[in-house]
This record gives sequence, C-alpha cells and structure tokens, in this order.
Amino acid sequence: MTESAGFARAQARRRQANFALFLGPALVLLACFFLAPVIVDLGLAFTDMDRTLAVTTLTLDNFERMTSRDTRLLASLGVTAIFVLCTLGIFNITFALLLALTTTAVPRALGAFFRAVWLLPRMSPSVVYALLWLWVVDPNERGLLNQVLVHVLGMAPADLRNNHPLVVIILANGFIGASLGMIIFTSAIRSIPEHLFHAARADGAGALAIVRHIVFPALRWPISYMTIHQTLSLLVSFEYILLITGGGPFFDTTVFSLYAYRRAFENGQYAYGAALSLILIVIGVIAALGLWRLMDMRRLLQMPRIEVH
Amino acid sequence: MHAPTLATPAVHADRVSWSALALRARWRRIAEQSALLVFLLAVSIPILLPYFWMVVISFTARSGGVSTRVLWTACAVIVPAVIVYCVVHLATRSVRVRLVAAVTLLAATVALLVALIGPSLNFANYRFLWRPNIVEEIRSKATAGGQFPSVWIAFRNSLALALSETVIILAVASLAGYYVSRFAFRGREAFLQGLLVLHAFPAMTLIIPLFLILHWIGLLDTIVGVMLVLATIELPFYVFVLKGFFDAVPWDIEMSAMTDGATRRQAFRLVVLPQVRVGLIAVGVFAFIRAWEEYIFVRTMLIENTHWVMSLYLYWVSDDIMGVDYGIVAAVSVFYVLPSLLLYVFCQKYLTQMTIGGIRG
Amino acid sequence: MTMRTMLGAMLAATLIAAAQPGFAEDVVIKVWSRADRSGPLRAGNIVAAADTLNKMLTAAGSDKHVKLELNETNAKGYDEDALDLLKAFAVDKGPDIFVLAHEWTGAFAQAGYAWNLEDHIKKNPELYDDIIPTLWQAVTYKGARYGVPQDSEVRMFFLNNDDMRKIGMSDSDIAALPAKVNAGQFTANDLCDLAGQVVQKGAAKYGILHRPNAGPDFQMLTESFGLVPYDKATAKLQASKAALRDFYTWVKYCTDKKALVADNTSMSWDAIEHASFTGDDVFAFFHGVWRVTDQMKGLNLKTKDEYFHRFTWINAPAGKKGGKPSNLSHPIAYAVSAKSKNKELAAYIVGLASQPYRNLQHAVTTNHTPINYGEQSMPELVANGWALVAATPMLKYASFMPNHPKIGQYNAIVFKGIQGVETGRLTAQAATDFVVDELENELGKDIEITK
Repeated sequence: MTESAGFARAQARRRQANFALFLGPALVLLACFFLAPVIVDLGLAFTDMDRTLAVTTLTLDNFERMTSRDTRLLASLGVTAIFVLCTLGIFNITFALLLALTTTAVPRALGAFFRAVWLLPRMSPSVVYALLWLWVVDPNERGLLNQVLVHVLGMAPADLRNNHPLVVIILANGFIGASLGMIIFTSAIRSIPEHLFHAARADGAGALAIVRHIVFPALRWPISYMTIHQTLSLLVSFEYILLITGGGPFFDTTVFSLYAYRRAFENGQYAYGAALSLILIVIGVIAALGLWRLMDMRRLLQMPRIEVH
Repeated sequence: MHAPTLATPAVHADRVSWSALALRARWRRIAEQSALLVFLLAVSIPILLPYFWMVVISFTARSGGVSTRVLWTACAVIVPAVIVYCVVHLATRSVRVRLVAAVTLLAATVALLVALIGPSLNFANYRFLWRPNIVEEIRSKATAGGQFPSVWIAFRNSLALALSETVIILAVASLAGYYVSRFAFRGREAFLQGLLVLHAFPAMTLIIPLFLILHWIGLLDTIVGVMLVLATIELPFYVFVLKGFFDAVPWDIEMSAMTDGATRRQAFRLVVLPQVRVGLIAVGVFAFIRAWEEYIFVRTMLIENTHWVMSLYLYWVSDDIMGVDYGIVAAVSVFYVLPSLLLYVFCQKYLTQMTIGGIRG
Repeated sequence: MTMRTMLGAMLAATLIAAAQPGFAEDVVIKVWSRADRSGPLRAGNIVAAADTLNKMLTAAGSDKHVKLELNETNAKGYDEDALDLLKAFAVDKGPDIFVLAHEWTGAFAQAGYAWNLEDHIKKNPELYDDIIPTLWQAVTYKGARYGVPQDSEVRMFFLNNDDMRKIGMSDSDIAALPAKVNAGQFTANDLCDLAGQVVQKGAAKYGILHRPNAGPDFQMLTESFGLVPYDKATAKLQASKAALRDFYTWVKYCTDKKALVADNTSMSWDAIEHASFTGDDVFAFFHGVWRVTDQMKGLNLKTKDEYFHRFTWINAPAGKKGGKPSNLSHPIAYAVSAKSKNKELAAYIVGLASQPYRNLQHAVTTNHTPINYGEQSMPELVANGWALVAATPMLKYASFMPNHPKIGQYNAIVFKGIQGVETGRLTAQAATDFVVDELENELGKDIEITK
C-alpha cells in the first residue's frame, strides 16, 4: 500500500518537476515580458504619466480624451480596417496560396528558386527593405517604378507615396506577409501523399479539380491558423509603415497601432499611449477569439497520448 | 493464328494514335508549365529587380547619386540570355545540348557584361569594410568622440546577439513545444489558445511598460534584457511550430526508449529531439534572422550608446540628416543582407517542412 | 629584533606605502550630446575644456583628474533626443552635462533635472559676463537661468539669384529685395507670387523648399501672420484662431501657385539638399545660416562675392503690407544635471567651454553666430566668418521660441497642419480647426486658444 502511495507521490513530484522544467522557462518569459507589460499598461492608462515617467495621479482623463477630444481616432481605425482586410485578403492568404500552388506545380528546383525570391523581403532586414521601397517609389525619375512607367510604358511619372500611400503600404506589407503563408502551405501540400495525386489523375481529374478536392482539404488548418496569425500580426505591427511612409502624408496611412505609438512617443504622452494600446489589445483579443471560434480551431489540438513521467 | 488482341473491330476503325496523344499531352504540359513560369517570373521580377539594383548601385555609384543605366544594361544582357536558355531547355531533352547551351550563354553573358559595364564597376563603396570612420570622412565630423564604430564591431555584436537569441529561443520553445505536444495538463487548451491570442499584444506599443519592467528587474541598459524581450516576442509562434514537429514524431520511439529504462527527460533529450532536427533548424533560422534585423528594442532599451548592431549602423548611415551617400548605403545593405541570405539559401529545404500540428488528425 | 617583529614591520611599511595613492584620482563626468554634423564641437569644446582643466590640475600638483565619458546619441532630432534624455534621467542614468535645444530648458527645469545656474553665473562674472544678454532669455525659466547658451544662428530664405535673372529681374531689383522685405513692402504673398512665377516660367523645378519635419523655422512664418505662441503674463502657450487661419490661407495660396511643393513634407532631407545645393532646381530654400558651407561646396562657390552673386537672403516677409518681417534664432544650450554629484565642477567645465576662443572654433567652422561679444572682433571671425558677419544685421528682427515645456508639441501640431494643407488633404479652415482641436487635445490646460 505504502509502496504504491510512495510511487504515486514520486510520480506527482516528477510531474511537477517536468512541468517546471519544460514549461517553466516559457511561462516565465511570457509572464514577464508579455503579460506583465499588459498589466502595467492597464495601470498606466489610468494615470497621467508623461515624458518624465513620473506618475502623480490616477485619472480617467485619457479615456475621456479618447472619446470626446480625439478627432483622428476613428479615421485611423478606418485605415486599419482597410489595410488589414486588403493585405490579408489579397496577399497574405490568397497570394500565398497561389504561390504555394504554383511553385509546387513546377519542377522542384525552379519552385525552390521562386520561393527563395519571395522569401527575400522577409529575410532581409526591415531597414534595408524599407530603403529599397523608398528608392523604388521615389517620385523623381530616379525611382525604379517611374523609370519603368516613363521609359517602358510611356506614362507620366507617378508619385505613389503621396497620392496612393495605402497602395504602397499594402504592397510592401503584402510581399512580406505572403512569404510566411507560402512556406506553411507549401509544406502542407508537400506532405500530401503522392498516390492521391496519381489516383486523381488516373481518374481523369484536371488541375483545378485536383486542387479543389485534394489540396484544399489538406490546407484547411494551415489556412485557418495563418488567417488568425496574420490578422493579429497586421493589426499590431507597423514597422514597415513607419519606415516607408511614416504614417502617410498627413494621417493617410496611420493605422491604429502606429497612431498609438506616435501619440505616445513623439510627444512623450505615455499614459495616453497606454490607453490607446489598451484599446488595440482589446480589439486584437476579440478578433483572435472570434476567428478561433469561426475556424473551429479546437479540433486542431489533439489530445496527447500517454501520461507517463 | 492471330494472338487475341484487345482491339475490337470498332477500335481498329478509328485507330488510336498513341503517339499523337502523347505529343498532345506533352505540348499541353509544356504550355501549362510555361504559363506557370511566366506567371511566377512576372510576380517575382518586382522583388528581384530592386535587390539587383541595390547590388548594382553598391558596385557602381561614385558620387553618391543613384543612376539606373548600369542596371538596365545588365538586365538587357541577362534577360535575353535567360529566355534563350529556357527555350532551349524546353525544346530539347538532351542533357548535352542543354549543357552546351548553358555554358555558351553564360560565357556570352559574362563577356558582354564585362565589355559594357565593366569599367563602371568599382569597390569604392565597400571601403567601409576597412576604413572605420567612413561616413565622417565623406561628409564631416559629427562627433567629438568619433563614436561611429568600425562595421566589424557592429557585425560582431549583431552576430553575438543573434546567436544568443537563437539559442535561448530554441531551448525555451523546444521544451515548451514538447510538453504541450505530449502531456495533457490542466489548462492545455487555454494555454494554446492563449499562445495564439498573444499575437494580439502589440510589442512595439508596449515599449514603455517593457522599459519600466526591465528597469524594475534591473535589466535595463543591458544586452541580456534586450535578448530576453526579443526572445519572448516571437515565442508563441515558435512554440506552435515546434509543437507541430513534435506531434509528427511517433510515440513508439519514446515508448521504446522508456521501456529501456530512460526517464521522460532523457527520452526527450536523446531520442525525440534528434527527430525534430528539421524543426529546430527552421525555427533557428527564423529566430536568427529576426534578431539580426532588430533595431527598435536595441535603441530603446539601451541608454549608453555602446552597443552598436548592424541595424543601427545602417540606420545611421542611411538616415543622415545632412546628406546621404547612396553608394555606401547600398554597399552596407548588401553586406547586411548577405548573412541572412546565405543562411536562408543553405537551410531552405528545412524551412519548407514547417507545418502546423494536427494536420494528420 | 626577532624574525616575527621584522616581518611585521615590513608588512606594516608595505601597507602604508600602498595606502598612498601613487595613481591619480579620477572624477568621472558624463556628457550627453546629440551627434550632429552641424555641431561636433558642442561636445568637442567640453572635451577641450576638461583637457585644460586637467592641465591646470597637473600644473598645480594635484592628483585629481577629470575623466569625461561621452555619450553621443543618434537621435533624429533635438526633440527626440530630449525625450530619450528624460527617460534616462527617470531611471537614474542621466549625465552630468548635457546639450539641449534651448526650448527644452523649461521641461528639464520643471522636472528637476536641470540645475539652477543663477548663483553660479552670478558668482563667476569673468566666465559669463561677455555673453550677449539677449541670449540669456533663451535659457531662462521662471526668472532663473538653467542653462548656458552654446550657440545661436540666424534663419532666412535663400533666394536663387540666377532664377530671378532668368525671369527677367535686373540685378538692382534683386539687390533691393531685402530692404523691401524689411520695410514691409514685399509681403509673404509677394514671395509666393514670385516663386510661382519662377516655377511657371520653367526657371526652377521647385519654388520654396522647407524642412520636411517639424522645427523652429516655421515660427518665423507664423509670426509674420500674427501668431504669438507664448503669453509672458500667464506663462502659458497661446494660439489665435485668426492668425492660424491667415497663416494657413497663405500656405494654401502658395501651394496653389506651385510656390510650395505638395510633397515637401515627405521628401527626405537628402532629396531636399540635393535639389537645393546643386544646380538651379530650387528657387528658395528656407533654413539657416549654417547651411552656407554646404551651399558653397555643392555649387562650387569659392568667395563671398561669388556667394552673394548667387544668393540673396531675406527675412520671413510680413503677412500684410506695412508689417514687420520676422526672424528666428534657435540657440542650443549646455545644462548641468541637478542630480549630479559634481554639479559645481560640471558647471565650471561648461563655463570654460563657453569662452570666446573655443566658442569661435564652433561658430566659424559650422557657421553659427557667436555667443560672446569678444568673438565678434576676433580676426578669425572677420576673416572666415563673413557669412556670420553678413547675417548679424538680420538678428534685429529675431525672436526666440518660448521656453515652455510643451512648445515641442505645439510646433509639431502646427507642422501637421502645414502638411495637411500642402498635400491637399485640408483646406485652410479645416487646417485651422484641426490644429485648434489638436492643441486643445494634447495641451489641455497649458494652452489658451483665442479668437
């Protein structure tokens, strides 16, 4: 009796030890540098911290200001919506799928080459990538785009950064976004057993039918995961927008995350920035949970096999 | 006596021309492949061209201005050569003909390039590699202390940061990924859901809270603090990816190891981990590249300016309020991109094996 | 003596000998400065001053030695640098001496990071009495001086004489312009008319180019239209809706005439300079006297005469006929940290760095105006500083930015309005409304908006 009780206790201890060893570091890091900042942010949003990092009172001023006196807030939410939907819809998911399908349909080496090209934007440092974009859309004749437009197509030089800034940031972020999806979808397609394709072709299926009946079912989870991941990613990151247009001429390309960042950092109004970040977090969490439900991600998580420590 | 044939008199009448069918199928395949290739080329050119332009600028720009003559000349030579080779490749099956065509085209291209743009090429812009205070040489001094370092110091710092980053991430993410994949603990689903939702937390807008937290822990103004913050930002994604790899490892391997007397931890370390080598390499590559390009956190969390990294170096060279030398910027960019590029090229096949766990159900 | 006592004595002797410091004692002074191509000697003069001090200490036989730790930051502008510095102070990593744009003195004084130098200055007239008195206004907050001016400058419009000749103006017309501006006969609208003419006749590609980010320059222009940003009586910032409207109406007028460039605010500094300092693409460039060096290098002008054959300088013209032109001077200042352990020492180093010889090196090499009367007659200024000598009369119309902690935000908002009108996103009235909204939004009780 005592033996099995002793064994059970040892098992329990080992289970806790394993938990601490395996999951511990991740939990500590995530708690310290993900959760804790959010809690601090929550606190900051109710204070009056300004650029001296000093807190003197607790106040609801920030929220009052956000709702009644901030005239650019809604506009930036609108820009965010357009930006996220367009980039996600056109590039991150659709184009990524297209690339994955096409690069797996050509001979392996060529496919790898084109995937390598499309991964170039993501692999290069953001400062370099932004610099290249600036050189390409330069409104003078030095800009690569204008060279093509003027000398090859005979059109007038375009000033994309000033007249169509949203197009520029959607393209810039899209090129980067498409690459991650492309990899994930490619590996999913690659892991489909060959014999399924052979059987389908023997049955006379054309390319489109193969894609619809064999490839898409295997891509269901990757697409769902990528949609959630990329939506959140686009909501939250503004690094390329900051580097390329700085928020657009005037506020044209200021997405909400950039808006919060600029309010906080260009003027040292850290408490107000914290309040804005809070709103962003709430939007993000709602989007994440909503999409999770929508795509039934639960089924993605298999239960593990045997519980032995 | 005739051998019985499958052909019925009716089929005999419209004799199926197999060779014609084969030819038609072959042409259709060529057409399909060509269409796909044209499409892929068309969408890849907007990416390739600017990078190629950057390389060209780094080797040609002299006065700091930017021109495209060399670029277009080079393209005018290279593109037809590539097209000609593609046609040859599709037209014949003979490996010898393809090889001969490739070699002659390559020789012709190189000869033409040397003749047309050879004189414009120079290494002047790469002198930042051996002259430390390059920017202050071109424009004028900006500092009293000559604080702009040699690029090799920045390179070394970036390398150290990226490597340490990668090690930390691989260690933490593989441990966590394994646990989530193998054990059913209370809150597992919540944890996974939480990992996904954590993507919604805007790390960049949380810079001030992170600044304060690092200050309270005492890690502000240290490179360790920066490393820990960077490691955490991408952690959720990597845990998910590694979980996928662990899910794909059959349970039998561990079970046999454990029936042989290994503890779970030993099984993990000695048996399972080698199985997910591909996943570790893929995550390692991504982590390295992400840390290689980092500049916002390094700028904000470090107060004394002593820790130069490549991103700051490039930022400083290119964001000069008093005038930019595009040739140097291009050269530094090429130098900066090269390690990521090389890493990616060598590890490409591992990256395309990344999956999201649970596909096989 | 026994062996033990002998050893003990030897040990004691060694210890005593070791206790006398045979090495110098270092006093560490931390210096924070923004790495600025137009002012490397701001930090450089501090280094030189510390050297002088060390030489004096050595000559006096002292073992003490001042060791400077320089932190030269890569911030994109003085505003960004000030924010970084405030963060550094907040976590106790602030320096002992720092360089800042003068309008931030108030912010640092209010936060308790800048030391009140009033006593120190009064006690050391031999170091500070030669400084031009008006410059002290720039570093005064609530009646006390918290910084020492490090330099000053003059800002102006650089007009391209060649372009004016191309559209048919005679040399005497051109030469008469500065006087007309000062008399209020040539107004801001006239400037835009002229610039528009130049562009439309094809003599230049761009009319007037200004900086692509927020900065002190624009206060000159807004002042021409009657915008007074600061109320000395209430010590608050202020803005008048009418003045803002007049100003933005002018911006719209100029943009419509193609005198102002629609995407000026999204051009890079490099593009603006490339256009302005090489060739004839730009009719008017709006910045300050320290750009003369770049202009001479880019356009290959060797002498003063060649320079003034090519350029005419004018103040910011008045908004209405008969009004006064305006000019802006934007001094940079040294300040000492109130939290420093070596406040007095740091202050003395600053004082040494501000002496005429050192300051003149900075002034002449980077074309800033001198801070001491003594510098004005030094031979080097007379010989090499002709630009500064020529610019000094313009200081008659100069004002400073108000020394209010939130002036940086004020300027940024006004700039955003300019950007909105230039890019065509806002009409003049919409820009006025936007700016008023933003000012109230961000500055709250620190600003007074009047009709």
